[in-house]
Amino acid sequence: MMAKIELPYLLDFCPLQTEDFTRIHAFFDNLKEGRLTTTKCKKCGEILWQPRTVCPHCNADEMEWIDLPQEGKLFAFTEVIYGAPLGMEQDAPFSIGLVELDDLPMSVLARIDDVHFEDLEVGQEMKLKIVNLEDGRVWFRWEPKK
Amino acid sequence: MRKVAIVGGGLAKFGVRKATYKELAQEAGKAVFDDIPNLDKKDVDSLFLGSAGSDRFAFQCYPAPLVAEQVGVQPRNLIMRTELACASGQAAMRAAYASIASGLSDIALVMGVEKMNTPNLAEAQTTMAAVMDREWDGVNGMSAPPFFAMIMQRHMYEYGTTREQIAMVSVKNHDNSASNPFAQFQKRFTIDDVVKSVEISKPIRLLDCSGITDGAAGIVMTTEERAKEFTDTPVYIEGLGQCNMGSLVSNLPSLTTWEPLKVAYRNALEMAGKGIMDMSFAEVHDCFTISEIVIYEDSGMCEKGEGGKYIEDGNPYVGGKLPVNTHGGLLGTGHPLGATSIAQTVEVIEQFRGEVPEERYVGGEWALTHNLSGNANVHSVLVMRRGG
Repeated sequence: MMAKIELPYLLDFCPLQTEDFTRIHAFFDNLKEGRLTTTKCKKCGEILWQPRTVCPHCNADEMEWIDLPQEGKLFAFTEVIYGAPLGMEQDAPFSIGLVELDDLPMSVLARIDDVHFEDLEVGQEMKLKIVNLEDGRVWFRWEPKK
Repeated sequence: MRKVAIVGGGLAKFGVRKATYKELAQEAGKAVFDDIPNLDKKDVDSLFLGSAGSDRFAFQCYPAPLVAEQVGVQPRNLIMRTELACASGQAAMRAAYASIASGLSDIALVMGVEKMNTPNLAEAQTTMAAVMDREWDGVNGMSAPPFFAMIMQRHMYEYGTTREQIAMVSVKNHDNSASNPFAQFQKRFTIDDVVKSVEISKPIRLLDCSGITDGAAGIVMTTEERAKEFTDTPVYIEGLGQCNMGSLVSNLPSLTTWEPLKVAYRNALEMAGKGIMDMSFAEVHDCFTISEIVIYEDSGMCEKGEGGKYIEDGNPYVGGKLPVNTHGGLLGTGHPLGATSIAQTVEVIEQFRGEVPEERYVGGEWALTHNLSGNANVHSVLVMRRGG
């Protein structure tokens, strides 16, 4: 579980996720249902990460939500020992990795749970882990595929 | 377009200072005007202030007029604060260049001020993490050390760069800063010290990192014609290059090959009509040891993947093929974001004037300064020539 966030908004890293605050609230709604999704431009077909409301390639503003693979291979990684920001200090040490999704030319950065730097290697298989925050928000991480 | 010259400059001491943001500005302002005795403050018509995070680090928005009052100038042509994270100081220089070259400004004070050390270090780390895309990268704990740690991990994996080769960058730059009275770290280290220092974000250790630094620096920029009033050794800006590619870590073209760096170096050097190895020395952005290794490669000092061997063979040392970071770099002098680039420029001025200690004196005719910012997604390069 991620620690309960009790920081003022301007020191809180996690995005506000509801319809009142963001036009990509569907990403978070889908994540709560166990789906990792993003937007695909209906006009030019580009798959966009992070999810967008306007396509940076063709300028169209009609998007569809598509499911992303929830598994991939580790490309780069680190383990944070010191220097984590407020709200994450108590989580250190924690690992972070850039994972290349299976079957899609796209990478997703997230924390990697339950593993130290020494036990990670390039190409290692990873799977998505969805984390429910105590305040009702949701986020995603990676974990090694057993 | 008018030709632009730098006529002098000065620094506030870098370090964990018992001084406020405003006091650092005063100290650097005094150093600048002491260095240029013929300059009347009333003739300064513009102020460009590089300050990356005053809003967060020092809880001070709108710092440009604040600094103008502290140093005693009343800009009437252009006053602005520039923010480009670690390259905020060079952004100020580039804005001043554009303003002077176009005829809008005649005499510009260009300053960088940053107060990064607060009673709670985690607050400073929080500001640094917000330099990344806060909601999608910062939220994962991604910040400067973990980002450059991933680059180091990949560089060692892809090219077989060794831990010891990377550590040599820290040893070299601390050797240079040892004789720099304005440096945060006036201390020498061994390779063994570096590879056994405290782990920060694996595989990066403490002595692979530049400091969290309070500091300020300033220079005065003017036209070629007016420069003669103030100095016999003006420094001309002969080339500028800058390039941005991407923002989100996931979307960068590469971790270990910095494509925007290549564009920025090429454009700056082409504008000056020079090649990288024509430079007498280069002051580049060693925010982490691995950064300088990648810079050797992507700037064209050596082949891709050969950066570790390049330093092992002695090339970037004073006395080597092309001395890099003669003032001690960010690793040795510290990295007060907005002041960093201005301090590199002060080193260029002092090298050209012959005002640096013998052990790190290079001199020469041509110099290059380079800053990267954020997750190495913007690179900014200036090529300078000694006049007089």
